[in-house]
Amino acid sequence: MDPLLKLQNVSVNFSGLKALNNVTFNAFSGEVRAVIGPNGAGKTTLFNAISGYVPSTSGSISFNGEPINGLAPHDISIKGVRRTFQTGGLFPEMTALENILAGLHVEIKAGFLDIILGLPEAREAERKAIVRAKKLLNLMDLASVAEQPVKDLSGGQQRMVEIVRTLATEPPLLLLDEPVVGLSPPMRDRMMEIIRRLAGEEGIGILLIEHVIDLVMSGSDKIIVLSSGELIAEGTPAEVRQDREVLEAYLGHA
Amino acid sequence: MAKVKEQNLITRERLRWVYYFLPILALVIPFIVNEYILWIVNAILVYTLVTLGFNIIIGNLGQLAFANTAFFGIGAYTAAILMVYGNMPYILAIFMSAIVGGIAGFLASVAALRGIRLYYLAIITLAFGELMRWVYLHGDTVTKGSDGLKIPEEIYFLGLSLDSEVPKFFVFLLLTVLVVKVTSNLMRSKIGRAIVSIRENEATTASLGIHTAKYIILAFVWSGAIVGIAGAMFAVLTERVLPEAFGLTEVIIHFGMVLIGGTGSIVGSVIGAITLTTLPEYFRQFPGMDELFFGIIIVLILLFLPKGLVSLLWRISPAFKERYYRD
Repeated sequence: MDPLLKLQNVSVNFSGLKALNNVTFNAFSGEVRAVIGPNGAGKTTLFNAISGYVPSTSGSISFNGEPINGLAPHDISIKGVRRTFQTGGLFPEMTALENILAGLHVEIKAGFLDIILGLPEAREAERKAIVRAKKLLNLMDLASVAEQPVKDLSGGQQRMVEIVRTLATEPPLLLLDEPVVGLSPPMRDRMMEIIRRLAGEEGIGILLIEHVIDLVMSGSDKIIVLSSGELIAEGTPAEVRQDREVLEAYLGHA
Repeated sequence: MAKVKEQNLITRERLRWVYYFLPILALVIPFIVNEYILWIVNAILVYTLVTLGFNIIIGNLGQLAFANTAFFGIGAYTAAILMVYGNMPYILAIFMSAIVGGIAGFLASVAALRGIRLYYLAIITLAFGELMRWVYLHGDTVTKGSDGLKIPEEIYFLGLSLDSEVPKFFVFLLLTVLVVKVTSNLMRSKIGRAIVSIRENEATTASLGIHTAKYIILAFVWSGAIVGIAGAMFAVLTERVLPEAFGLTEVIIHFGMVLIGGTGSIVGSVIGAITLTTLPEYFRQFPGMDELFFGIIIVLILLFLPKGLVSLLWRISPAFKERYYRD
C-alpha cells in the first residue's frame, strides 16, 4: 500500500534552533499513528510543518504522492489534510452549527452573485450544508447545543465540535493535536473510541499527538517518538515500549 | 431549539416579515413629517449605510481599520465630480462611487494583508483618511478646496427630480434597503462566515481550507463600496461636498454608531445610525450643553450596554440575534 503521507528528511529551523531535524516517516490510510515525546520535542512543529503553518527548511512532504511543502495552509487543507489545534481552535462567538458550517466552507458551491442576490442555487447549497452539519452534530450528540455559541459549551463538547468541524469534509488525513486534553476519563475513552472508528471504519489516516501514555498504547497502531526534534523510534506500541532510547528520553527511566 | 422559540411571541419567521414590512411602512414618513425632520430621516438612511459598511470591518472582520471616512469622502467626491464635470446621471454616479469606494477598500486591505494589525492598522488607516482630506483641500481646481464642490441644481434619479427632501427620501430608502438586503444575504452565507471566522481565529480559519486573504480583501472592498454609495447619497443630501465633513470627528461619529448600535450586527448598524443622527439634532435645543449631553449618553450606553443597543432587543427575544447562516 502506498503511503498517504510521506515525510523525507524534514527539518524546521527557528533562527538557528533545530525544531525538527531530518524527520522521515510514512503514514497510511486507516491507521492511527501517535506522535509522542517530551515537551519541546517538536510534535506540534511537526503538525505545523505538515499543515503548512511553518515552512520546512529542508526535506520533502508529500500527500497522496503529491508534494505539499511550500503550499499555504488553506491549500493543504483543500487537498485533504485537516488538523485540529491544541487550544483555542474554535470560533468562540459562533454557534456550534456555524462552526461546523465554516468547516464545510469549501464544499458549499455558491457564487458571489448568487449569494448576494439570494438566488435558488446558492440557497440550496446553503440548505444542504445546514442539513449535513446538523446530521454531523446529531451523530456526536451535539444536536441540543447546535444553536449555542461554542464558548458556552463544556470542554468535552468543544473538543467534539472541533473534531466534527475538521471531519466535516471527510478528509483522508486528520492531524489531531491532543484531542483528549482537558477531558474527563470517560470522555477520553469515548473520544479514543471515535478516533479508532474513524480509522477502522472510514479508513481515515490519523496522526495524533497525545500525552496520556495508556491511551497511546491501547489506541494506536503505530507510534513515532520525537525527542529534541529527532525521530528516535518508530513501531507498534509493543515495540516502542521495549525501546531503550525511548525509555530514557521519554518514559524517564533506563 | 424549537421549544425556546415557542415560548416567545417573537420568532425568526415573524421577525422576517417585520423586516420586510418596515421599509413599506416607512413610505408614509414623508406624508407625516416636515421638511426638517425628513432631512434627518434622509441623513439616517445615509448613515445606516455608513455604519453598515464600517461594521463589516470593525464588527465582522474584527479589524481596527478606520478608513471609513476616506471611503465616505471618496464616494461623495466621486459622485459630485462626475455629476458636475461629466454631467453623469445620478444613478451612474452612485454606481461609480461604489466602484471607486471599493477600490479604496482594496487599498486599505493591503495594509491588513501585510500583517499590520491593531493600533498600527488603526493609525495607518486614519492617516489614509487625513491624506484624502489633504487631497480634497489641495486638489482645488477640481474639488474647489475648502469652499466645497456644489453639486448641480437639477439632479434626476431615473427621471425623478431630486429637488426636495421627499424625492430624495424615496431614492435613499430604495438604495438603503437594497444595500442592506444584499449585505444581509452576504453575511448569512459562506462568505459572511469566513469573514467572522477570521475575526475569531485567523489561523484556524485557514485550516478549514478558507483562503483568508481573499476574504479580508472582499470584506474591505464590500465595505468601501457600501460607504462609497453612502458618500454619493451624502453629496446629494448636503448639496455641497466639503473637506471638513470627512475629518477625524467624523471617524469618531462613525465608530460611535458602530459601537452604540452593536458590533457585527446589521440591526445594530441601523440602530446606531438612528441614535447618533437624531441625538445631536435633539440636543441642539440646549446650546452650549449639547455636546456634553451627547457625550454623556454615549458613555452611559457603552458602560451599561457594552454590546450596544441591539443587545436590548436580544433580551426581548433571541430571535433578534443575527445568525451567520440562512435556512
